[in-house]
Amino acid sequence: MDLAAKDVRRHLGKFIATIIGVGMLINIVFIMNGIYRGIIDDGIWIIENTDTDLWVVERDRGGPFNEQSQLPRDTYKSVAATPGVAKTGPFITYTVQRGVAGRNQQFTIIGYDVFIGLGGPKRIVAGRNITAGHYEAVADQKLGVRLGERIHLGVHDYTIVGLTRQAVDTNGNPLLYLSLSDAQEVLFQRDNQAIYAQDAATIKKLQDAGYTATQAGQMLPLFSSNTNIISAVLAKLTPGADIKKVRSNIQDWLYLNVYSPEEEIQLMLSGRLKKISITLGFFRILLVIVSIVIIALIVYVITIEKIRSIATLKLIGASNWVIIRLILEQSVSITLASFGFGYGASHLLEASGQFPRHLIFTTFDTTLVFIIMLVGGVVASLLAIWVALRTPPSLALGG
Amino acid sequence: MDVLIVKGLKKVFGEGELAVTALADIDFSVKKGELMALLGPSGSGKTTLLLCISLILEPTTGYIVINGHEIYKDGWTDVDMRRFRRENIGFIFQSHNLIPFLTATDNVALVMTLNGVSDREARRRSHELLDYLEIGHRADALPALLSGGEQQRVAIARALANEPVLILADEPTAALDTDRGRKVMALLKKIAGERNSAVITVTHDHRMIEGFDTVCELSDGRFVKKPL
Ligand SMILES: Nc1ncnc2c1ncn2[C@@H]1O[C@H](COP(=O)(O)OP(=O)(O)OP(=O)(O)O)[C@@H](O)[C@H]1O
Ligand SMILES: [Mg+2]
Repeated sequence: MDLAAKDVRRHLGKFIATIIGVGMLINIVFIMNGIYRGIIDDGIWIIENTDTDLWVVERDRGGPFNEQSQLPRDTYKSVAATPGVAKTGPFITYTVQRGVAGRNQQFTIIGYDVFIGLGGPKRIVAGRNITAGHYEAVADQKLGVRLGERIHLGVHDYTIVGLTRQAVDTNGNPLLYLSLSDAQEVLFQRDNQAIYAQDAATIKKLQDAGYTATQAGQMLPLFSSNTNIISAVLAKLTPGADIKKVRSNIQDWLYLNVYSPEEEIQLMLSGRLKKISITLGFFRILLVIVSIVIIALIVYVITIEKIRSIATLKLIGASNWVIIRLILEQSVSITLASFGFGYGASHLLEASGQFPRHLIFTTFDTTLVFIIMLVGGVVASLLAIWVALRTPPSLALGG
Repeated sequence: MDVLIVKGLKKVFGEGELAVTALADIDFSVKKGELMALLGPSGSGKTTLLLCISLILEPTTGYIVINGHEIYKDGWTDVDMRRFRRENIGFIFQSHNLIPFLTATDNVALVMTLNGVSDREARRRSHELLDYLEIGHRADALPALLSGGEQQRVAIARALANEPVLILADEPTAALDTDRGRKVMALLKKIAGERNSAVITVTHDHRMIEGFDTVCELSDGRFVKKPL
């Protein structure tokens, strides 16, 4: 006779409520894992999906993603002249918040030399790459724009000629690819209002420093910034080139910093992504502990609730195995069903696309959570079994 | 043939100054089909005696033989005792101790399946037993939905499930009104008569014991009225 199943059938509501409750908790564990992996994945997506052998950035800077980096545009020509370098391209990246597709949203503009091609969009799912030097754009689907749509940025309109999927900056914001000069223009060419505000701020600063208003006005042009700058130079090496030598040449002669893609990723992981991953890691551990404690408590409580029945079973001569099976079967099925619920709920949420962050579920995480939960459930049942087996049969006789 | 022989039984709880002698100098035997009543005031040792016989409480000294086997012998493990209990003894207690999540039938059938009877056969036989105890119409009810008297009859059916040689009942009528109490006692008589099991039942109530083969009375752990 399957005692565990009979008990579950009698208290179906209670068991289902328990499974939903614990399952929700496990669901959150999964989502937390998904967010964690998603943030890391987004954080290095652009590095992994840019076609380059070397990232050349401003000296002493961990750019262009972990830290700001600014170089004169022509740097790419000097890098190209280094022995061992086959091809270079200028690259600029900056995050903006503008009204696009009817809402004010944050996204990152990537500017690259569309004729050289380095740094351009990968994984175009609709349309084509940028072919004209001006007024064409490739956008990520997340921006909500359609193919052929014209979007207004700065002082010009840009036509969307291609769409990408999951092309995101290090914060998970969608990317918008433009030709280098368009990108520079969007970045630096402000409308009159912005220029006026900037000038007013500069004049205020000069006045604070003791200049008269007239003097400050005359000095204003000196403060207008150079706008022909880029964030990094992308460099492809000639086959068989000694990467070490190329690097030290660029570093020593051009006074620039050079990173391989792996090093760029490492910069992100040990820099901007470090705190968030530690924070999320902390939450993941806490959540797993809370789930295990709750599962343990539930297993313990459903055993204690039955302690008189267990004493009766002993009294009528049931073997320990009957009692162990009763406890183990219930705790393992509660654990498994909760796990299944949590797994299903988190994957449904991900599939629905309603969750605002990019979720990535890995088999490793799933297996790990599964093993931890199962071990937790079994350990809790061992505790419950220990209590049950110590229960004297005479307990069934009391009052 | 003696189903139960108790010799020189003594049970002391605790040690030193706190020691309580719950039973002393208990000698008696019970035959097949015999119906024995155990009387005595509260604290006189009735439950202790039943627990000693049921292999739940080991006596301090003395020995007990059930169906030709000396129990609590050296080398008997907990497992041996549980098996012996389930094969030879049926229990009926004051509180009915039915398993709350099993129906009346399942409560009875469980005892049989523990002894290796198939589920089907166990269910068939428990229906028979419940019919025998005139509770067959409530076979599929959960204990919580049965009245006290009905629960006690299911508990009796469970005690009979393995056709034990010895049935022990600790105040089986305490939770029932006089009328129902009498009916339960009548059932025990019928069982002793028809099924040839020896029945020992504890009671507080002198009115309940008419028709019993043997009546013993305990006081302070000793028999004041010895069995004949
Ligand atoms: N586990 C125990 N530890 C210590 N003393 C005990 C224990 N069990 C019983 N006693 C004592 O042994 C004596 C006999 O108790 P027992 O329960 O056998 O009485 P009883 O005749 O069944 O009483 P009642 O009619 O109230 O059920 C009492 O003095 C009781 O306090
Ligand atoms: Mg008692």
